[in-house]
Amino acid sequence: MKKAKFVVVAAMALVFLTTGFGFAQTQAQVKEWRVPFLNCLTGAIASIGEYLQWGAERAALEINQAGGIKGKPVKVIGVDTALDPQKGSVEMARIVEEGTLVAMGPVPEPVIMAAMPIAVENGMASVTATTSYEYAVKFFPWTVSWFPPTEQRLGELVAAWAGLHPDMKSVIQFVEPYGPWPGMAEAHVKGLTSVGVKVMPKVDVPSDAVTFGPLVVKALEQKPDGIVFVCNAEKIAKIIRELKSRGWTKMDRLLVFSSGDAPELYATGGADINGVEIYNYINPNLDTPRWNAFKEAYMKAHNGNQPPSLSTNYYDALYMIKRSIESTAVTGDPKKFKEERKMIAEYMANMKDFHGIMFNWDMKNGVPTNKPTFIFSIQEGKKKLVKEVKP
Amino acid sequence: MSLALYYYLSITAVNILMSWALYVPYRMAHLHFITVANMAISGYTAGYLVMALNVPFSLALAIGFLLGGVIGYLVSLFIGDAPTFAVVIVGFTFIYITRTVIENMPSVGGTMGMFGLPNIGGSPSVHRFVILGILYGLVVLVGFLIHRFDHCSLGRAASAVFVDKDLAVSLGIDIRKLGILLQTFSCTLAGGCGVLYGFIYRSFHLDFFTFHLVGITMTIIFVGGYSTMWGTVLAAPLLYGIPLLFPPEIASWRIVIYGALLILVLVLKPEGFITRRSVYCVEGFLSRAQKKLNNS
Repeated sequence: MKKAKFVVVAAMALVFLTTGFGFAQTQAQVKEWRVPFLNCLTGAIASIGEYLQWGAERAALEINQAGGIKGKPVKVIGVDTALDPQKGSVEMARIVEEGTLVAMGPVPEPVIMAAMPIAVENGMASVTATTSYEYAVKFFPWTVSWFPPTEQRLGELVAAWAGLHPDMKSVIQFVEPYGPWPGMAEAHVKGLTSVGVKVMPKVDVPSDAVTFGPLVVKALEQKPDGIVFVCNAEKIAKIIRELKSRGWTKMDRLLVFSSGDAPELYATGGADINGVEIYNYINPNLDTPRWNAFKEAYMKAHNGNQPPSLSTNYYDALYMIKRSIESTAVTGDPKKFKEERKMIAEYMANMKDFHGIMFNWDMKNGVPTNKPTFIFSIQEGKKKLVKEVKP
Repeated sequence: MSLALYYYLSITAVNILMSWALYVPYRMAHLHFITVANMAISGYTAGYLVMALNVPFSLALAIGFLLGGVIGYLVSLFIGDAPTFAVVIVGFTFIYITRTVIENMPSVGGTMGMFGLPNIGGSPSVHRFVILGILYGLVVLVGFLIHRFDHCSLGRAASAVFVDKDLAVSLGIDIRKLGILLQTFSCTLAGGCGVLYGFIYRSFHLDFFTFHLVGITMTIIFVGGYSTMWGTVLAAPLLYGIPLLFPPEIASWRIVIYGALLILVLVLKPEGFITRRSVYCVEGFLSRAQKKLNNS
């Protein structure tokens, strides 16, 4: 009996020792976790860069107030790329050489293309949370896609929108040739035709367009029942105003794509965009303590303005990094950078049940599998939920 | 060599070469912005050749130079002796046309861009070594050619055209032929730079070739000094390098600092930091030093 007791005690001691030893191995070896964020803090889209940065820093604040990551504080370091591939590439090179474990960004696409190959070559994950799947996938496994493949997801989404308006038989698109936008327009075509809606030849919106009358006339000549906008937010607002001035009344047959969901749409469109429908990946009408706190803090810091749709992306990205570090044996030890960078990338790519600020989702091979999308109606600058489209 | 230093050096070399591509036709008052379009055309063509047709990089680079030269030559047949403003308009128009054509070509990635250009020599370190070698070899070669040009009758002819076209014609200078020569040289250089620029990043995106690049090269030339090639050699590394050294706290003031610097230079030294007079002074000093050495 005594012998049996001794064996049990010895086994328990062994378990304690090994788990204790294992635990000690995963203790943070850093004073603070530094996460560089290659962002456009100056230049033409600095206003977007500002709220992306705000979201990331808000997450850092919350994480630090809750005890940090593995007991150490996290610091988001804004690295300005100024929309310049030249600057972005040198900054990324500096980041990978400084022994950074994981980074966020770059923003936007031209800088991603110049700088991400450096991260890939050096085996460091950098979360590009604002670009489309088609850009992110080129840099797998050293980034994750924030969105599912465009064709699949947007096809389902616009088909659901068409289902809301069964009498809508023909649709035309305004498309601006920028980055992934023409690809998104193609996805809309496939989705709409799959439910029997005729898609007319698109109207190209030049990037430097300042007047939209001729473009609107060209679209109206084809007598469409509905219109989808795949262009810059400010341009969308101006085109809608032109449409209204030329007698367009069915506002719910106008659908704005997700990248058009930016402050410029509401500021320029004003009351003229009331009733217009818009799709996006987040639902600002959500009523949870976490989202309400985020919204309140954002509005306080931004003169009462509502958080724009991308403001949560890098907030969630930092939480994703936190979970990756806490769920793996990552310590921040410079001697183990290579394997720890890989651990983070691998964990993020297949993270299950991630608790984002809006909803929980799973990742599979770097792609989110179950993020919902939402169709809203714009009323007095606010979005009213019309339909949630689940994959 | 550190990775950051590699990117700094390689991009600086491209900026020097592209500023020279602008400097050469500006010797006869032509602001030839078509060079940016040349970069894009040759770059994307070389990228396509390497990615889709497995053409070796060296051949693709040669084709890039050649394509730049051919386009430059054909365009210069029409604007070789055109006034400055007309040359500027043609350059801008070409940038727009090139962008639109590339945007509508799915074979080169369209609006998405071209990803995953291969490493030259099969490994990243060989790739970096080759790119840097070619770029700085070009800087030396092109610098030598421009130096010779500045000191020969062609350079003096270009200076005469810059000051007064009528005077130049009265001196027997064929302005059109000179324009064709300088514009073709400039476009050839830009074509090669476009290929190398894309291979530095190992990708192409239309926004690599925007007016932003015009802004960078113009600032380099006018701050460094537009009357001599040496201004570019001084300004390119400084203007590109200084902002990288800014601490994050003042990085967002970069544009203000740039602007203030440009205004200061234009007010205090309108010809830029390095003028032809200062080059002559240095050359005189060096030649006297050489003589002294020889005598002793």
